[in-house]
Amino acid sequence: MRLLLVEDDAMIGAAAREGLRQEGHAVDWVRDGAQAEAAAANGVYDLVLLDLGLPRRDGLAVLRSLRAKDNDVPVLIITARDAVPDRVAGLDAGADDYLVKPFDLDELAARVRAVLRRRAGRSSAVLRVGELEVDTAARQVRWKGRDVALSAREYALLEALADRPGAFLSRAQLEERLYGWDEEIGSNAVEVHIHALRRKLDPSLIRNVRGLGYSLARDD
Amino acid sequence: MSIRHRLLVWLLSSVLAGGLLAAGVVFFQARAEANQLFDYQLRQLALTLRDRIYLPSQLAEVLQGEEALDFVIQVWAPDGTRLYISHPKLHVPSAVQLGFSEVRTEEGRWRVFAIQQRGLTIQVAQPLSARGRLALAAAWRTLIPFLIALPLIGLLIWRLVGRELRFLESTAQAVARRTPEALEPIAGEAIPEEIQPLVAALNGLLGRLGHALSQQRHFIADAAHELRTPLTALRLQLQLAERAQDPADRERAHAMLRDGIARATRVVEQLLALARQDPDAPVESRAPVDLAELARNVAHAQAATAEGRGLSLGVEGAPAVASGDANALRTLLENLLDNAIRYTPSGHVTLRTGSAGGEAWLEVEDSGPGIPRAERERVFDRFYRGEAIATGGSGLGLAIVRRIAERHRGRVELLDPVEGRGLRARVTLPAAE
Repeated sequence: MRLLLVEDDAMIGAAAREGLRQEGHAVDWVRDGAQAEAAAANGVYDLVLLDLGLPRRDGLAVLRSLRAKDNDVPVLIITARDAVPDRVAGLDAGADDYLVKPFDLDELAARVRAVLRRRAGRSSAVLRVGELEVDTAARQVRWKGRDVALSAREYALLEALADRPGAFLSRAQLEERLYGWDEEIGSNAVEVHIHALRRKLDPSLIRNVRGLGYSLARDD
Repeated sequence: MSIRHRLLVWLLSSVLAGGLLAAGVVFFQARAEANQLFDYQLRQLALTLRDRIYLPSQLAEVLQGEEALDFVIQVWAPDGTRLYISHPKLHVPSAVQLGFSEVRTEEGRWRVFAIQQRGLTIQVAQPLSARGRLALAAAWRTLIPFLIALPLIGLLIWRLVGRELRFLESTAQAVARRTPEALEPIAGEAIPEEIQPLVAALNGLLGRLGHALSQQRHFIADAAHELRTPLTALRLQLQLAERAQDPADRERAHAMLRDGIARATRVVEQLLALARQDPDAPVESRAPVDLAELARNVAHAQAATAEGRGLSLGVEGAPAVASGDANALRTLLENLLDNAIRYTPSGHVTLRTGSAGGEAWLEVEDSGPGIPRAERERVFDRFYRGEAIATGGSGLGLAIVRRIAERHRGRVELLDPVEGRGLRARVTLPAAE
């Protein structure tokens, strides 16, 4: 998933970005409210992690402005403001969840998954497509009943496809979900990961249609 | 001793003293009146006798029945023989001068009136004690109402004072009900004028206490909030270190963790520095502090940091000796210089000192982004960090600087640099004598 991290503190931002990347997310990090608003407006993000105390524009103002423009990107507030009225204000402004600092990387990752799951209309952390099981909480993949070890990028790619089985995702869309702004993307990185997935699972599981992109085969 | 007891004792004593004074006055007045009255009687009696006695032979007849009187009557012949005495058993004054006189005998003091008529000397004497008795009786009659009233007055005082003192009790209860959370002023409308100053003073104290407490609470809330940020960073960095798979990742995570710990340490140190600079306590031990030397020392200590950031650090120290606490002033200068170095990406940082008109000043000028005029007041607020990208500062530096300056009865100003862009922070302090 491609996440927008809005955090003005250099240390927290760097650590949170690193941690979320290890979870297989592509993370873009901006440090102030104005940049956050501009970045969130382009619509490529699956989720925005929003700090409230931001330079130039307050986080809550950014959120309200997004919602006023009918931008319904999931927003998870991460803040040191822990008072109940602050939480209520955050949630009422249109946040999907509210996480108070100091938080745990594991909890952050779990909340990100939960918000994404809810937004996709699922309550279970496990995606099932035919004989493929993707446990988004444990980040484990089972194919025909056996565990398959995947790299972080391979997993992220498979999860993106399994999230909407049958739908086609273009190479550009997949790259967006896999890589942040500041990450080097090899010219055929997506193809390499697809190749690896086909090898580890089943060659026929992932289809490729030129001009449309990649899709996970549904059983039906 | 309670106010009630004091008032009772003093008021009753006053009433009693008043009564005694009145009785004394009445006594003397009554005695003076009695003297006048009895002297008149004495004289009248003597004159009556004179008119009634023509011959010594008539004496017994004329004076018959006068024995019962309070008066002792004596009559002497021209040759000095006593012809008559009404109370022979008494020791009475013998023949003395004519007119009024006082004589002492074994019976006591006598008032005597003597008159001569055709050779006969008629003398009427009366014991003075009779007059005293009369005066005493009058005085006693005056005193009696006071004595009767005394217990009644006492009871009244006891009750009334008790009632008035209920205000004190209710005020005390109102004070007792105040807690650090509820320090609203005590209502003062129904309270007697005499207790008003006390209530006003208490309300003043409550107000100051409430202000100090709320400042303390804000500080703690701010501090808690501010500690949360480095703690969040530490927690995330620690988890990254734990997760690191290969040595390069681990080394990177450990470096981040070290930075995080250094920063958390600085925040805590700065909070302590701020808490130590109690704004209400002026500097108690003032000594002459050479600001030029202080500037050289502080610049020396931070030279490596400045150099590491590619900044040109300079000191232009004219002699300036301030009066103050050397350690606090060092903290002040360190914070200003730290800020300047932290917020200046390139160019120079210059320390200047000087003195003018009984004041010593020091300046830290940088060629950084500066602070917009509108923001210059707000940057002194605790934990305010400016609009620029976070640079890992604690947000407390300028708050500490200002507090130290205020404790020295000095001031801090943020000015434009002498030339070019940047910021010039100037601290003015009282010069040493």
